[in-house]
Amino acid sequence: MKSAAKPFGSSIVPFIYASLFIVTVWQLVVTFTNAHVALLPPPLLTAETFFELIISGELFVHTGASLGRVVAAWVLSAVVAIPLGLAMGRFMRFERVMDPLIELFRPISPLAWIPLAILWFGIGETGKIFIIFIATFFPILLNTVSGVKGVDPVLIRAGQVLGCDTDRALFTKVILPAAMPTIVVGLRISFGTGWAAIIAAELVAAQVGLGYLIADGMEILRSDLVLVGMITIGILGVLIDAVFRILNNRFAWGS
Amino acid sequence: MTDTTDTTLNTKGITIKRTAVTFNTDTDSPVEALRPIDLDIAPGDFIALVGPSGCGKSTLLNVLAGFIKPTSGSALVGDEPITKPDIDHGVVFQDYALFPWLNVIDNVAFGLERQGIGKQERYARALDNLDMVGLKDSAYKKVTELSGGMKQRVAIARVFATDPSIILMDEPFGALDALTRRFLQHQLLEIWQKNRKTVVFVTHSVQEAVYLANRVIVMTARPGRIKLDHRIELDYPRDFASSEFRTLEKLVYDQLDEELAKTFSLEGGQGYSGD
Ligand SMILES: Nc1ncnc2c1ncn2[C@@H]1O[C@H](COP(=O)(O)OP(=O)(O)OP(=O)(O)O)[C@@H](O)[C@H]1O
Ligand SMILES: [Mg+2]
Repeated sequence: MKSAAKPFGSSIVPFIYASLFIVTVWQLVVTFTNAHVALLPPPLLTAETFFELIISGELFVHTGASLGRVVAAWVLSAVVAIPLGLAMGRFMRFERVMDPLIELFRPISPLAWIPLAILWFGIGETGKIFIIFIATFFPILLNTVSGVKGVDPVLIRAGQVLGCDTDRALFTKVILPAAMPTIVVGLRISFGTGWAAIIAAELVAAQVGLGYLIADGMEILRSDLVLVGMITIGILGVLIDAVFRILNNRFAWGS
Repeated sequence: MTDTTDTTLNTKGITIKRTAVTFNTDTDSPVEALRPIDLDIAPGDFIALVGPSGCGKSTLLNVLAGFIKPTSGSALVGDEPITKPDIDHGVVFQDYALFPWLNVIDNVAFGLERQGIGKQERYARALDNLDMVGLKDSAYKKVTELSGGMKQRVAIARVFATDPSIILMDEPFGALDALTRRFLQHQLLEIWQKNRKTVVFVTHSVQEAVYLANRVIVMTARPGRIKLDHRIELDYPRDFASSEFRTLEKLVYDQLDEELAKTFSLEGGQGYSGD
């Protein structure tokens, strides 16, 4: 456990340096270009807005709404993509049928689905969750498939000679645990892509959420709100990734 | 020394009857790996299988393990034909094949769990077997923390834990340094002398073969057949430096050299003589 604490502590330091660097450059740009507040507010003013939104609780409402959508879509993705991926990794014929389908859908950005999402699901929650679902689906699916297919064949043989005499036993006792780290990586990556797609999802007629905060800030010419929304997305993205890395380490027997 | 030999030993002979294997590849022409082989292995024998690289040693072992079906002929353990992998036919792999998501003791207890043995008994037996290879203190370590030699000892404990009637080993010490290798050879011999399981042991080392086995089998270059089948009557533990040992080593080497020459002249083609 000692080893788990150290990389976490030392991985925070680079982010502090990076933040200081960004703030410095930001302040310098504001000072030297004399930028209009509506276009680029100084860091201090943005920080003020940030804390105002925290104290009023508004930021938590937006963050909570966005996180809720991402989690819902991501769980839904996992529930569909993991079993599908396991089946594809296990049965070659099935994979051969599914693979072209997936290759055709994969290059289509979640953004491209916005119009259809609105037409199909209207402007409620379902459409938003659908967009994030698209964004989270493929990383989970592809990692699950490669996790299952990448299981060392020697481990499968070892399982067989140690009494896994049915496909089912072999699958639950050897293949699934062996594929687990890769699946967890897929879950981590997809949470990131889902989180990044939140803006796209909330661009459409949202009443709450970080995407709404940003879009609204633009409409009422409050760049500080836009920046607060962006910063929150960035920070949370890093934090969520850190949580997943810790989870990952629990499965990190592989390397 | 007290005799700890158990009277209810689980050990069986192996009968190989006209067993041949030809691999069909999609790209090349079929590869004849094994010419029909006949071999009778008595219960409790320690067989060392040596032969040029690519001659079909692993193929034969894979047939005995039930991983591949012979193209013709059959192989039996006791009176039972081998049709599929079986927990009664233990295998030790060259690259250990431990389950990295389980700790040491759970690796050793894996097969016992599959046999439906309760947790307490399972752990007790796993600990006994770990003790046998001197790794009782590492029972709760992660397998990724172990050295190669320790990993292979865990794999040996794991295979003996389920008390199989035969044990198949494909170059189990091939990836280890010379000192670790000597230590494990010694340890394996001690274990085998106690429980007398039938062992088929593939190795590239003639010394290892003569040191361990009571019967050494040399295979010909591919397609593999049996070139030499020699009983080794020396008492254990054997002395590498003794003249009897040296003589036996030379006997095996001479047979092997003939086959190696064939392998290289085949692979080298005309380039070999032209150099
Ligand atoms: N699955 C396979 N498909 C096609 N050819 C194969 C397959 N497995 C083995 N062969 C071929 O069969 C021959 C025998 O292989 P095998 O692995 O049994 O040799 P080996 O004696 O164990 O060699 P080594 O000492 O190098 O381990 C080789 O020519 C090999 O290329
Ligand atoms: Mg081999």
